[in-house]
Amino acid sequence: MAVTAGAPFAPAADVEAGRRKAGPCGACHGPTGTSSIPGVPSLAGQPATYLHWQLILDRDGRRRDAQMTALAAPLTDTDMADLAVWYASQTPVRPRPVALSAAEAQAGRALAEQYFCFACHGIALEGRDYAPRLSALQVDYLTSQLRRFKAGTRGDLDGAMTTATQPLTEATIVELARFIAGMPAP
Amino acid sequence: MRHIALVIVTLALGTLSLRPGSAPAQQAPPAWKQGQSAEMATSPLSPHAQPPAPKAAGEIPVDKIKVPAGFKVSLWASGINNARVMTWGDKGTLFVSSRVAGNVYAIVDKGSTREVKTIAKGLNLPNGIAFRNGALYVAEIHRITRMDGIEDKLDSPPPMTVVYDTLPKDAPHGWKYLAFGPDGKLYFNIGAPCNICLPPDTHANISRINADGSGFEYWALGVRNSVGFDWHPVTKELYFVTHGRDWLGEDVPSDRLDHAPRKGLHFGFPYCHQGDIPDPEFSKGRSCVEFAAPLLKTGPHVAGNGVQFYTGSMFPGEYRNRMFLAQRGAWNRTQKTGFKVMMVTLRGNDVPKYETFAEGWLDGDRFWGRPVYTQQMKDGSLLISDDYAGAIFRVTYQR
Repeated sequence: MAVTAGAPFAPAADVEAGRRKAGPCGACHGPTGTSSIPGVPSLAGQPATYLHWQLILDRDGRRRDAQMTALAAPLTDTDMADLAVWYASQTPVRPRPVALSAAEAQAGRALAEQYFCFACHGIALEGRDYAPRLSALQVDYLTSQLRRFKAGTRGDLDGAMTTATQPLTEATIVELARFIAGMPAP
Repeated sequence: MRHIALVIVTLALGTLSLRPGSAPAQQAPPAWKQGQSAEMATSPLSPHAQPPAPKAAGEIPVDKIKVPAGFKVSLWASGINNARVMTWGDKGTLFVSSRVAGNVYAIVDKGSTREVKTIAKGLNLPNGIAFRNGALYVAEIHRITRMDGIEDKLDSPPPMTVVYDTLPKDAPHGWKYLAFGPDGKLYFNIGAPCNICLPPDTHANISRINADGSGFEYWALGVRNSVGFDWHPVTKELYFVTHGRDWLGEDVPSDRLDHAPRKGLHFGFPYCHQGDIPDPEFSKGRSCVEFAAPLLKTGPHVAGNGVQFYTGSMFPGEYRNRMFLAQRGAWNRTQKTGFKVMMVTLRGNDVPKYETFAEGWLDGDRFWGRPVYTQQMKDGSLLISDDYAGAIFRVTYQR
């Protein structure tokens, strides 16, 4: 995004240190940040700013997840910055897309437009800054996160996703998650 | 007439039929995108992301900050993620808030160094802080709380006692500025939950309560979002800044500095912007003359936050009772404006002078920091917080 201005964040962040520190994370998130566990997010190629903020939200309990809160508790700011830049530097791998009929794809795209998903996540849902790369996430994870945003248990920095998910019905959540996980290239 | 009505109905149906088949009523876009006209839909402008970590002291180019002759700027404290409002405790602790970082900090001045302690974390955009009778008051989006006797318990902070929690929970413009007025009441903003909309009666105002949470009342109305105000040291009257709406243009509307000497004045939102621009969508049947006009148009998209009257004795005599406005700079303009601390000279209700006091955070179209609030030190020097670099600068004057 051309408008991202200012100096680079976290100047001290060290990719190699991040690789070493990420060892234990690989058990669930995959050795290079591509998860094969349905409810666990892939971290490879996610924006560094997004990853770093998520670790802060995990540590402080704003993103309510007992396991991640415990794991993030001992991390220093430097650890978080290193982990974030290492995962951001890994190549994102798209999971096998959900098979959508042409009608489902069309209706799903209309929903994603109606709920302005592309405004922050990008036209290919590739993510930027705060907004994760949705195109690399699995349908189970996407579904659970939309539910948690709606329930107010998945803190987001400025409340944008909590606000956006309030009008979603359970059926819409499922439909949106399936579309995102099966979206044909734009 | 009937024919015209029919045409309108047909047009409305036509619009509806463009919407996705089974979808419910239109969903609001994210707040930053809302109010964008069709011809702006491909604009590359979007909000600047807040860094997740403060800059290291060595990465902060303090020498780039320019101030008038005789003044000097130094880096006073760093490593304070998202540092925003600063307020003093009675025993000399500087309390510092944050916004998206969710933290409140206490800084203990140890002469040549400063120790930064995080006294609360995981809060809901805790921008507003104020100190009274040994207690630190903290305003999050949805509540105002109090930490009693905090200065004696910085290493094991007391619980946050609820003072007031019947506040709207909307995230857009939901974060607050908080300050005690000369009347001992606690003032805070309830911003419009949008970029531009007809807000519910409960929003777009500056409100006040008693320190114990009783006696809620609206003080100023039609205020889109004011996250900075102060009272004149002599007249004790309230002055506040407001961020103008986005997506109306590069040069309009101007942000504003306003004067609210009495309760109940309406400052125009959403009907009229900067005192003389009717809103293209919401001004129907309304006129700008109905509303209080700005005391000063501070400039388009400057994003005024800090407002503070100077009452110290370190700066030259003419600085007394001047107002410092910290302008964080906004994103909704191709050429950035703001990223400065401005200075306002008042003469009665005239503003004979509006000039730059500190600048240099912006270099062409890139910025390395964002000045957001000021706070005076006991010796009359001026602290400037920077929520982007996570730092606090100190401005001194040598005769």
